Amino acid sequence: MRSRNSFTGPLVLIAIGVVFLIHSLSPEFRIGDLLSNYWPYLLIGWGALEFVEVCFRFFSNRPLPPNGVSGLGWVAVVVICLTGFSAFQVRQASPWIRWAGFERGMRAFGEEREFSVTPVQQAVGKNPRLIIENFRGDAKIAGTDGEEMTVGGHKVISAFDQGELARANDETPVTVTVRGNTVILRCNQGKAPSRVHLSTNLDISVPKGASVEITGTTGDFDISGLSGSVDLSSENSGIRLQDIDGAVKIDTRRSDLIRCNNVKGTVDLRGHGTDIELTKVAGQVTINGSYTGSLALRELAKAVRVENSRTEFNVQGVPGEIRVDRGSVSMQNVVGPTRLTTRVNDVSLSNFSDGLELSVDKGDVELNPGRIPLGRMIVHARSGNIELAIPQSAGFAMSAITDRGEVSNDFGEALKASSEGRGARLSGTVGSGPEVRLATERGTITVRKASASGTTTVGNDVEGGGKYRPVAEAAR
Amino acid sequence: MNNRKALFVQAIRGPILLIALGTLFAIHQAGGLPIYRSWPLLIIVVGVMKLIERTAVPVSGVYPPPPPPGGPVQ
Repeated sequence: MRSRNSFTGPLVLIAIGVVFLIHSLSPEFRIGDLLSNYWPYLLIGWGALEFVEVCFRFFSNRPLPPNGVSGLGWVAVVVICLTGFSAFQVRQASPWIRWAGFERGMRAFGEEREFSVTPVQQAVGKNPRLIIENFRGDAKIAGTDGEEMTVGGHKVISAFDQGELARANDETPVTVTVRGNTVILRCNQGKAPSRVHLSTNLDISVPKGASVEITGTTGDFDISGLSGSVDLSSENSGIRLQDIDGAVKIDTRRSDLIRCNNVKGTVDLRGHGTDIELTKVAGQVTINGSYTGSLALRELAKAVRVENSRTEFNVQGVPGEIRVDRGSVSMQNVVGPTRLTTRVNDVSLSNFSDGLELSVDKGDVELNPGRIPLGRMIVHARSGNIELAIPQSAGFAMSAITDRGEVSNDFGEALKASSEGRGARLSGTVGSGPEVRLATERGTITVRKASASGTTTVGNDVEGGGKYRPVAEAAR
Repeated sequence: MNNRKALFVQAIRGPILLIALGTLFAIHQAGGLPIYRSWPLLIIVVGVMKLIERTAVPVSGVYPPPPPPGGPVQ
């Protein structure tokens, strides 16, 4: 067995201790990110230490251990590899299973060829309902004037040999079936032998009034200029929608980007994906799932509800912009009441109306309401600084508490600061106004006066702010 | 002493394998050669270590030393 006077074990313990100490002293230090990115160096470091130790023992004529890394040590290595690797992959959200999978092998060893799709032209009426099922490939769908639908494009087929390629092409024609108002487009991809990899890239034009229902496996969608609704569900897709009048419903298991621009109906996103970009949506927006990339929302007229894995919020309208990136949430010019819950993120909110309920696990909060009268604000951070800039003439009833940290106050006598143990408290009333409650378990609270230029009064024209929600209703 | 040298080579095998494993994962995460392609290198490393172990000492260190010349004592 290993002799007692090994120094690797203690050093590893010390290193782990140091990492957790830094973590608990400074909250910005993100232990999860660190471990998921740098765990291989842990293995290297451990190996190097053991290496040095064995060499040291050998050259100083001390007894050598039977093996450098013990059985239990290897178990630990396997555990580290599994957790580290999966944590990294989850964070990257990279489709490594697909890389490692069969498709790639087929592409590498087989033959690949492009075949063009026999064009289809068909009268389908003014408002058809287009259904595409089990579709694999990229599709571009555009609305046009008239009552005709045209389909063109090409197929990319990979197979082991030429004969199989040709057979696969023959067995998978693109067909259009019209049944009353319903138009079914089939690519017959299921008929190809299972060993063949086939994707059909289609260029479809439909009458403007069409609605679209697609279930796809892999491939990107680009849909524009329809006055009907769009209902899309896919295993793995990038999706771009432009100028849709109807409701949009998108369900993805994986996606690199979902972009909707100028939608008049509601937008409903579900599932998993990476980036989301919504611009100019007139209907309600609901996002529910796990999207790991960045989220950008601009010019949304109605209520927005987002339930993402780490961040949840709802607001009543976004005349300005909301951005959620890895590590930060920022909202600028939104119509409240706003409710936001987030785990590890810095939060910055400016120019918001009608109340705020904010809860942050770890991250700094910066608030600049920028409008009077103030709404009721309840802010809680487990760890992080809170900075609130209050418009000069606003009235409010302040109660701010930090369990460990300081309070800094611009309002002088009106607010009473007192220290309590390792923390501090600030309370008092300025004019008459709503409750403002700030609390952090660890961090500094700063209450300052906003510069006059940044302040607007509700009812004055705040870039469409009044348009979305009348003042009387907001005061409710 | 040959026996000691063999023990050394054997003891150092674990750490070297650990370093190699860590390096491969680090390369994977840096966006280089992915681990599911580079794993055979680990087998090669193990093979090379075994080879060195063989050449370092004709008799492997884990086994008891060979009986003294003249055959085992009855």
